Amino acid sequence: MILNYIGNFALFFCLILSSIIFFTSISSLNNKNSFFKRNLNELLFFKFFFTFLSFFSLVILFINSEFSNETVLNNSHISKPLFYKISGTWGNHEGSLLLWLLILTFCAFFYFLKSKNRPLDERLLTVMFQELIIIGFLFFLLKASNPFNIIFPVPNEGMGLNPILQDPLLAIHPPILYLGYVSTSIVFSSSLAGLMRGNINNFWAKHIKSWVYISWTFLTLGILLGSIWAYYELGWGGFWFWDPVENISLMPWLSLTALLHCILVLEKRSILHSWTVILSIITFTLGICGTFLVRSGILNSIHTFANDPERGLYILFFLFFLIFLSILIYFIYEDKFETNNKNLNFYSKDFSIILNNWFVMYFLSVILIGTIYPIFLEVLSNEKISVGPPFFNKLIIPFLIPFLIFMSIGPNLKWIKNNKLSNKLNLIFIFILSIVITIFVYRFYSSVALNITILLAVSFYLFFVTIKDFAKKNYKNYSQMFSHFGFSLLVLSILMNSIFSNEVTSNMQVGDEIKFLDKNIKLQRLENTKEANFLKLIAHFKIEDKDKIELLFKPEIRIYDKPETITSEAAIKTDIFRDRFLVINLVKENDYLNVRYQEKPFMIWIWISAIFISLGGIINIFKKNEK
Amino acid sequence: MKIKIILLVILVLISFSKGSFSNELKLENKINKNLRCLICQGQSIYDSQSDFAESMKLVVKQKIKAGMSEEDIYSFFKIQYGEWILYDPQFNIKNFALWLLPIVIFLAGGIIIIVKFGVLKKR
Repeated sequence: MILNYIGNFALFFCLILSSIIFFTSISSLNNKNSFFKRNLNELLFFKFFFTFLSFFSLVILFINSEFSNETVLNNSHISKPLFYKISGTWGNHEGSLLLWLLILTFCAFFYFLKSKNRPLDERLLTVMFQELIIIGFLFFLLKASNPFNIIFPVPNEGMGLNPILQDPLLAIHPPILYLGYVSTSIVFSSSLAGLMRGNINNFWAKHIKSWVYISWTFLTLGILLGSIWAYYELGWGGFWFWDPVENISLMPWLSLTALLHCILVLEKRSILHSWTVILSIITFTLGICGTFLVRSGILNSIHTFANDPERGLYILFFLFFLIFLSILIYFIYEDKFETNNKNLNFYSKDFSIILNNWFVMYFLSVILIGTIYPIFLEVLSNEKISVGPPFFNKLIIPFLIPFLIFMSIGPNLKWIKNNKLSNKLNLIFIFILSIVITIFVYRFYSSVALNITILLAVSFYLFFVTIKDFAKKNYKNYSQMFSHFGFSLLVLSILMNSIFSNEVTSNMQVGDEIKFLDKNIKLQRLENTKEANFLKLIAHFKIEDKDKIELLFKPEIRIYDKPETITSEAAIKTDIFRDRFLVINLVKENDYLNVRYQEKPFMIWIWISAIFISLGGIINIFKKNEK
Repeated sequence: MKIKIILLVILVLISFSKGSFSNELKLENKINKNLRCLICQGQSIYDSQSDFAESMKLVVKQKIKAGMSEEDIYSFFKIQYGEWILYDPQFNIKNFALWLLPIVIFLAGGIIIIVKFGVLKKR
């Protein structure tokens, strides 16, 4: 009970501290030797500490199952395992916003600590913008979604957490994703501050680059975790559904990827100042926009677990405020950009990065339009349409082809100079090699569409070129090589996966046998067990191939009582060549099971390649620290 | 440069000679993936196991057996349930912005790059 008050008051205290810091940073700008300047670090730390205190109280409330707290009541349950009691803290709207705030305050503190080599007024302005965001979120938290609402009389039992959220991966997915989202706020604040002080130059790029890498790495890992979870929990073997919520997490990632490349050009060549700032603004606002769309319940998505229109309205207001503010600042201080009309050469690294930005922004616009167009259409004409995977495939795949070619050639070009490719023969040889392999794949399996075939060839090309780059003798940019290699591996494994996947669906009773390719699938028996908070129905399958090698599969159906939900747990056997995926489902008023067995080649390589991609970011973060 | 063009032509020719799409189950899955399960939250009937999805899957199966083409099946469902059921939005008057806007943005981006960096002037 007392923790409710502690948590609540800690938040109020944060609000006061935030306001103090906000006004301090403004007054310190004019009066450089004011008292507070020296103490700003301490103030930022205290604010972080109080947010942590508030968050910690909520965690303890969840662990103790204190149902006097409304959030705990709605999202927890006594019989839930301890691990999920803790992760349940951020498995709901209020708690996840508190986590968001916690990371936000930590970022502000950490930024101020780590930016000592930057001009003081830029740092103060960054902190000011950061406080503005924090105050906005604090108001939202306290007004519209307070995690510490007290219920009286105290109920005996909670409502429980949605069972599909009770999963180890999903417990760490939100914190990682939020670290990615929220740390882009520093890039946003710092770019606005730099803009106001006319500081956007190569030194600024060098400084803010590490923040970009940090957010990008966390965002990549966060999306990966979400995707793996969707694969084995929601899934019937899919890992990316082009679902609105997934698209929303991908959009900031794309603009951050563009920013990550663009900032290199700014650092090396002192061009693209304004574009870098625009990208920083876009990235952060897309992050907030995502929160708005997810929380407001406007989107029809499999991931919409809890939502409330009023909250959406507040975030929408806040979003417009931030966008308006950034546009205002941009146009007032626009003349502070350094202008130098350096010409670009077609065959240079700088230009290929601009091409990268061009294509990435196109992909972003496809996803943005595909996600929000149905909403606008429904408001304007009251007609509902669905935009799903076919739309995205049609608009993205043709453009992915030239994109992958640029991606393989670009890193082999030099900065600034219009240079000829020194290893042209090598590149041509690899090109022929990729075509030969594609023909081989094509012969093996002929029902592949034209665009997929070409895409396969160019992704083989990128794959071999990046492998060749590892063997290069001179200077190596490991982070770029790992990420590009990972990306080629990702496209390749997704393609192979979609081309070579095979499946069978059938209704089966105990004792039934079905044939699939050269295999025999037999449902041997069913078993009922009782776990702490659910009933479990385990089906025992035996799959025997032509060499008489037997594999046992034990897919489950779980029946949770609080809240009453039925989930299917797939049985997955993974090796380096393929995933074998078996899932069962109850058919109402029938005594048979609906069974789906899938063989999905190279599934694990999709995850491995995403790890390679983020490895590039990790290498860069540590490379920076060594210097 | 010449070599590249020749290779590209070969590649395109190879890709055109693709075999016919005969596998009935593959077609069924493809259609199922393009139909929205109306009572679910953002799932195709392929991904869903609700009663609605199950009965829809049966309808799709029957229609294929009856010899209806993929397009026919889509228009059948569109008449029954409205465009909301199709995951592949059609290109028509109210959707043209959906399809064309990204392309317009892409072209605009290209123009901006050409104007800003004088790529054409140099060549």
